[in-house]
Amino acid sequence: MFDQIRIAAADGLKLPKDVVLGEVLISFVGRCSVTIENYRGILIYDDSTVKLQAKHCKLIIHGKRLHIEYYNHDEMKITGLIQSMEFGD
Amino acid sequence: MLYLYRLWGGYLRVSLRGYSPERFLNLCMANQIVIWDLRYVEDGYQFLITVKDFRRVKTLVRKAQVHLRIMGRFGLPFFLHRNRRRKLYGAGVAAFFLILLVMSRFIWNITIEGNRRFTDDGLMHYLSTLNISYGMRKSSIDCDSLEESIRSRYPEIVWVSARVSGTRLLIKIKENEVMGHAIQKEDMPRDLVAAKDGVITGMVVRQGKAQVEIGDAVVQGQVLVSGVIPIYNDSEELVNRQYVRADGDILAKTEYHYEEELPPLRSQRVDTGRERHGMGLWLGTASFVWLLPGSKENPWELSRETRQLVLFQDFYLPVWVDRIRAREYVLYERSWRPEELEAEKEQINSWKIQNLTQKGVQIIENNVKILNKSSGWSIRGQMVLEEPIGTGQNINQEEETKQLDECN
Repeated sequence: MFDQIRIAAADGLKLPKDVVLGEVLISFVGRCSVTIENYRGILIYDDSTVKLQAKHCKLIIHGKRLHIEYYNHDEMKITGLIQSMEFGD
Repeated sequence: MLYLYRLWGGYLRVSLRGYSPERFLNLCMANQIVIWDLRYVEDGYQFLITVKDFRRVKTLVRKAQVHLRIMGRFGLPFFLHRNRRRKLYGAGVAAFFLILLVMSRFIWNITIEGNRRFTDDGLMHYLSTLNISYGMRKSSIDCDSLEESIRSRYPEIVWVSARVSGTRLLIKIKENEVMGHAIQKEDMPRDLVAAKDGVITGMVVRQGKAQVEIGDAVVQGQVLVSGVIPIYNDSEELVNRQYVRADGDILAKTEYHYEEELPPLRSQRVDTGRERHGMGLWLGTASFVWLLPGSKENPWELSRETRQLVLFQDFYLPVWVDRIRAREYVLYERSWRPEELEAEKEQINSWKIQNLTQKGVQIIENNVKILNKSSGWSIRGQMVLEEPIGTGQNINQEEETKQLDECN
């Protein structure tokens, strides 16, 4: 109920949802690099899978030679050959 | 910038293994410990971390039950530690900065910009009289007084800006582009006389009394426009003379001859194609030259390109490097070919025409011949010109007055 009000408020006021709702923000550069903002933590990392926890979902990135260039409280940059991305509950 | 900051403080490559490495990574993130270049390797992870942050991770290591192992150390603190026994190395680096510091207190380049009438050499010579030269201390230059003295020494320079930039003294000047002083009007009475022989083709008299007419043949020194104007009374007797400054444009048809001698044989230079290269080094007053050896049978032409060493943009060092190029050539003499003589004739003739047209002379006829003489070749030209021939000659008023008295 409270989330629905917030979504409606964000829509009505035309505010960015990643800020109001804390949703994850993903930016791809081709298939070689991806930057993820608003994530909560790292669940699994190896050279073919990166699984991250976001506020409302899990984020799974599959690929080859995956490499975390940097990560901090706000942002993470992953490079390598990205093959797919999926959202989990 | 971030890279330099990390180099300054030092950073480590660390191997991470254990029960829950992901938890360790999340704990680092929560504690704002910066980790970068995280890689998955066969038996765990590897990442980079600053020395300062590495000291803070011990409690997190226990909490996440992982093991850290340092795989590599990078940055200035580790570099200094590795080279702590190399005292001469350190002394060399220190000497480098010391020499740089000492050298930066002197002037190693003087640049003058904006001069068109005054040459760099002339201005540099003047600066040397003010004890401003290469190698002087920067602190002893007073830019304000330098500007003042340049302006007072050269009145034609209307604006001077002197400033020291790095080890360079930059002097920007602006010259007066309009005429420095007004032409003084001369009012001395004069005649216009013929500068050379000719036939008058045009006359415009602005002041004075014309003595010749169009079509008259005049000789050099003949008065064309007189500056003495006789005043007659009613009975047409000469009563007085008025002296004026005769002025006018008198055009005359004149003849111009020239003769240029050419030697019977022409010396020609032919490059053999052999070249030598070398380097020259100037350190203050000392110079060193390295040039590959070559044959001494024929003469060599040396050309050198000099460059002053400069650090960054303004830090001129007292070191000049020459690039020397030597080319071997052979000189031999041979007789002139007809086409070469013709080309030489054309060249001399066009040069003469250019000289004359620059003076405002009109060329009516132009004949050039090549003559074979016993001493060589001669190029003989004959031109008919139309040119202004009037030239001023001051009148001696006392003599004229005497003449007038005698007449009376």
